[in-house]
Parts: sequence; C-alpha cells; structure tokens
Amino acid sequence: MEPNAIYELLAAHLGDGALAFTEHPLEPWADVAPGRVADACRFLRDDPRLDFNQLMCLSGLDWDGHDAAGKGKSVAILGYSDDGQPEKSDRVATGELGVAYHLYSHALKHKFTLRLRVPRDAATVPTVSGLWSTAAWHEREAWDLLGITFAGHPDPRRMLLEEDWVGHPLRKDYVMPDLWNGVPLQGQPYCANPFPVATGGPDQPAGDKPAEG
Amino acid sequence: MSTHPTPPSGYDVGREQMLDFKVDQQLLEVVETDAKNFILTTVDEVFNWAKLSSVWPVTFGLACCAIEMMATSATRYDIDRFGAGAFRATPRQADLMIVSGTVTAKMATRLKLIYDQMPEPKWVIAMGSCAIGGGPYFKYGYHVVKGVDFMVPVDVYVPGCPPRPEVLLDGLMRLQDKIRGRKGRFIAPKWVTDYAKLIPYRK
Repeated sequence: MEPNAIYELLAAHLGDGALAFTEHPLEPWADVAPGRVADACRFLRDDPRLDFNQLMCLSGLDWDGHDAAGKGKSVAILGYSDDGQPEKSDRVATGELGVAYHLYSHALKHKFTLRLRVPRDAATVPTVSGLWSTAAWHEREAWDLLGITFAGHPDPRRMLLEEDWVGHPLRKDYVMPDLWNGVPLQGQPYCANPFPVATGGPDQPAGDKPAEG
Repeated sequence: MSTHPTPPSGYDVGREQMLDFKVDQQLLEVVETDAKNFILTTVDEVFNWAKLSSVWPVTFGLACCAIEMMATSATRYDIDRFGAGAFRATPRQADLMIVSGTVTAKMATRLKLIYDQMPEPKWVIAMGSCAIGGGPYFKYGYHVVKGVDFMVPVDVYVPGCPPRPEVLLDGLMRLQDKIRGRKGRFIAPKWVTDYAKLIPYRK
C-alpha cells in the first residue's frame, strides 16, 4: 500500500491526532500528536490492511537550530578545543525534540514513517515497547543520548553510558565533561613544538644545538 | 672523562660527527664502572633475551585496530615468529597489553584494572590514532579518553588508522629492542666494539 493511502487510514482512525503528511521521494512521513502515538502504532500494527509487524528503527531527534519549516540554521555545537579543553558557552537551546518510527510489514511489504515533536522542557512520549519489544532498547538509547522520557517503559535505564553519567550527549547544547569517575576526558595539544630550541641547559648541552646556517 | 685510553687509529672522527654519535664516553664509563658486575650483566642479558623472546600479549581488542591485530597474529604475518603469538585470555599470564582501538571512558576503568592485574614486568603498546591521542574523536568525543597514556604508561606508540600489520610488528620489534636494554635502532659502530677489546678485563 502506498504511504498516502496508509495515512488516509491512519487519519480516519486518529482524527485530530494525525497532524500532517509530507510527500518525499525517498521517505514520506506522517506527523502525529505526541500523546496519540501509542494509539497510532497499535492501529498500524493490528489493522489487517496495514499489518506493520516490525519496528525497523526508533530514533530520537533534536531540532535545535532548525526553524519551523525544518530548514537548518548554523548552530555552534560545543566540543573540545584544539587544546583539548571543553568549550563553554551560555547558549540555551530552544528547538524541539522528537522521535521517528520506521515501520515495515513483512506480509504486505510496505513501509511507513511516523514522526512526532515534543517540547524540549517536557519531552515525554508514551512507550511502544508493549507493541514491538525491540522498541525497549531503542527507547532506552533515545533516553540515554537525548533525554526523551518514555512513559510506561518497563526498564528505563541508560543504554550505552554509565548510570552516573550527567546529561544527554547528543543534545546540541550538551557541554562536554572534563572528568568522569577519575577518567580524564580532556586532551592535550597534538603539536606542542616537537623541536624545542636548544637552551644549553643541563638537559640540553651545547652539543645538542643544531648547526647554524 | 679524561682517564680513558686514547682511541685506536681506526677511529673515524668524521664519521662520528656525521652520525652525531655522543655515546662513546657514556658507553665506556658504563663498561669500566660495571667491571665487577660483568657476569651479572650477562645474566641480565640472558633474562632480557628470554623476556623479549616470549612477550605474551593479553587478548584485548577494542575496535577496528583489533582486526589488524588479529591479522598480525594469523598465518600471513605470524606474530608467533617473534614469540608474541600466545594471546592470553587472562592478564595474570600476560606481559604486554596492545591497546588496539578507541578507549572509551567506560572501558578506561576496566583497562586500568586489567593493567593493574598484569604481573611485572609489563609493557603497553598504544596501537592506532585513537589509543595514541583520541584520533577522530578528539573534537566531539565526549566519551573517549584522548590517549591511553592518560591511564597507563605506554612504551611504544604505533601510529596509523588502523596500522598495517607490518607496522605493529615493527612496534613489537622496537619493544623488544627496549627490553633488550637498547634504544630503538641503535647499533654500536665498529670502532666502539674494537675499542672495547682494548680494555684489559675483556681479554
């Protein structure tokens, strides 16, 4: 079934919960309301005309630095400087967070993409791990790296980082740490003058001076 | 310094200056002051030879460099030719840790634990750009230690991304040179060995 036909069925089921459908030659997607996504997913999985029995991927998204139309703007993402020290900035991220669901039906061999946006300060989405059990790990990863809370998740722990990690690193306003549990994370300059000038001191006797001219 | 006998007639001053050798005085001082320890020094050499001929690495592959490390231990490159083919699954039996790959912050704590569990004497080879200085994760790698020498002392750095097996073998040979008690590619010139024969107790 074509994506726009799938969206018509979905919109008839959800009503005002289905926000928009965007045609795209590679990846057409539907925007849904964050609170209705579990309902939408249950309909997409259980309706015999759709039969989406696999969640291919669940991705967290950060729209900071994008305008309402989705066009990207220039955002200076913090990192480590050339000296290896964490870069600091007082920039406050304002963009929304989001989640994308990529679905596939093995029986009917069609694909569909759901997308939702949540405000940055209240990023809570209902879980779909009861529908596809693979969503449990994907939602843990989205929580770990982007800080999106999935309400009703059976095991809401971090996925990749340690439990005592501070912050969510793939947010665009994330400030890099310089130390974690005694492990230094800042670096040192790559090129700190590998050819020091001979001073004639005790560690560099005069014989070590390079030839003049 | 000035009590050494005069150099033999074959001593080539121009060659010394060309090679920028400054080891003659130091070497002769060592040879003369260690005269009473001559046999003990030879035992050390035997022990060093035994150590460098059986450097057992701990099985410690972290990332894609580990693939090259596995290729080095396979038949085509055959690290067993140098006595370092016995990859041990426990640090208690290992002499060498080849840090082959990206050292994340989470792994760095385990790496330090494994290094502490290895018995002395022990050596570390930092293999690849990530283990040397963070590599491509230097800028945005919030989870990467920017060089394993922040965690453990490193003996030999093997650059590359990833290094070819030949380079890892070369790093192993430089480590063996280090165990042998010499510097990297130092080869005593002939006039030094001839000079040493003039010293009475060497006869």
